[in-house]
Amino acid sequence: MIANILDGIVLGLQFGLLAAGLTLVYGLGGVLNLAYGQMAVISAIVITLALSAGVPVLLAVALGLFVGGLAGLILDLTILRPVYRLRGEPRVLLSLLLTLGVSFIIDGFLNWRYPLETLSLRIPGEAVEILGVPMRRGSLIASAITLVTFAALFGFFRYTSLGRAVRSVIQDQEGARLVGIYPHRMLRLILVLSGVLAGLVAVTRSMVTPVDAQSGLSITVFALIVTVVGGLGNVAGALLAGIILGIVSVIAANLIGTYISLIILLAAAALTILIRPAGLLGVKE
Amino acid sequence: MLKVKSLSAGYQGNDVVHQVDFEVGSGEAVMIIGSNGAGKTTLFRAMCGLLVPSSGQVFFEGTDISGAPAERIARLGLRFVAAERHLFPQMTVHENLLLGANPYRPDPKTMSLILDLFPRLAERRRQHAGTMSGGEQQMLAVGRALMSKPRLLVLDEPSTGLAPLLAQAAYEALGALRKQGLTVLVAEQQVPLAMSFSERGYVLENGYIKLQGTAQELAANPIVRRAYLGVT
Ligand SMILES: Nc1ncnc2c1ncn2[C@@H]1O[C@H](COP(=O)(O)OP(=O)(O)OP(=O)(O)O)[C@@H](O)[C@H]1O
Ligand SMILES: [Mg+2]
Repeated sequence: MIANILDGIVLGLQFGLLAAGLTLVYGLGGVLNLAYGQMAVISAIVITLALSAGVPVLLAVALGLFVGGLAGLILDLTILRPVYRLRGEPRVLLSLLLTLGVSFIIDGFLNWRYPLETLSLRIPGEAVEILGVPMRRGSLIASAITLVTFAALFGFFRYTSLGRAVRSVIQDQEGARLVGIYPHRMLRLILVLSGVLAGLVAVTRSMVTPVDAQSGLSITVFALIVTVVGGLGNVAGALLAGIILGIVSVIAANLIGTYISLIILLAAAALTILIRPAGLLGVKE
Repeated sequence: MLKVKSLSAGYQGNDVVHQVDFEVGSGEAVMIIGSNGAGKTTLFRAMCGLLVPSSGQVFFEGTDISGAPAERIARLGLRFVAAERHLFPQMTVHENLLLGANPYRPDPKTMSLILDLFPRLAERRRQHAGTMSGGEQQMLAVGRALMSKPRLLVLDEPSTGLAPLLAQAAYEALGALRKQGLTVLVAEQQVPLAMSFSERGYVLENGYIKLQGTAQELAANPIVRRAYLGVT
């Protein structure tokens, strides 16, 4: 049981990190980015190519994160422009359609050009025992990176004036404009941040499972599920939902079978919408 | 300080405010009175950049701000306190005030001035804005606007949702700010309150400016007396 829970937490941290970038962009800008998983894959392939060109690991990772952020910026400057002209439901729908299109294009391109590149950052060394359970080093390092990332995100939002300005747009966009904050600039910043987070997802995930040109869709799907359960626009909710879903999914996989865990996750998301439409930590409007 | 020239605005191509002209001079307190649906909020939103006017111009300290976005107008020193307040509900009073100043440069001196002006806010520094009472939220909305040391404060029905005594207190606080030289433009349908505070005013009816004059002139006008002061 302890082993299940620990594995669940490891997976859950992954889930939480997956959702963070997606949920922020949605909460801030009403943009549902279905090309999110592909942004992660782009980073993964950039890192793979850099590594095979002999670039040292840390530098390759930095390059991957940079390209992830660049992908976010490009989305903001191009395909999302028409989306920004709309409000409310049409805005979400158009963003969903356009980014889905982008995800197909990226998928097609990557599968054609880089069908075999696979990012798999193996961390060598013995398993480490935690509470009597042997844990793979890769899982532990991935979890540590995720925790540090979340701590940095929380610190940014709570203690910096820029982070406060971003939160103000999430809470009341008109109020933010009335105190002189440019919502579009905040959104651009967050899109870049979400691209970097997508890159980080590729890095931490590849320490546990290989990431290749086909991984995009599943990353987006998991991110969506966790985002729904955690509450749109809520980073703390994403972390909490990620951990809960991670534990549930590992236990379900072990008790019943791996095939069931995705169904259970979807059911959890559906149930959340029924019971708490604003998500676990959501506040009613 | 503020000059509005033949401003028209509305929704989906239908104007509800028509060719409105008015002015606010430096140091003045000016009211715009009108009943429900007269177009006061629409006029203010068009002036403050939340709504794109269909025609006309707005000059603020000589700069043409017609159709400029709200965030730019706010940075120029024209601060709008909406009737719905638009506070940041899941942030503390303190954070709301911080965001009111130049959002990226905290200003402890103005902060303490405002906490002196509204001691209630000082007591509730750590409370979330969303959980405060209507009166406290109104104070916070005004306090947040004042954090930027605005050149002109524009208030849309500051008495909204306040009990008569609290509404009066809100206007007394505004009066105190006036004495310190703040220029204020206020829209109000509780006309007696606005009258006690302003020196000049305009009457907006069905989107048109129908009358204008000093507070005394308006108070003596039979139409105003009948329609807004409940005198028969
Ligand atoms: N978002 C909107 N879409 C369409 N029509 C609107 C909208 N907001 C206001 N109106 C209409 O514009 C007219 C003027 O409304 P406005 O809110 O400006 O009046 P007001 O003087 O502020 O009234 P009140 O004192 O009740 O706040 C009304 O007929 C109203 O129905
Ligand atoms: Mg109104």
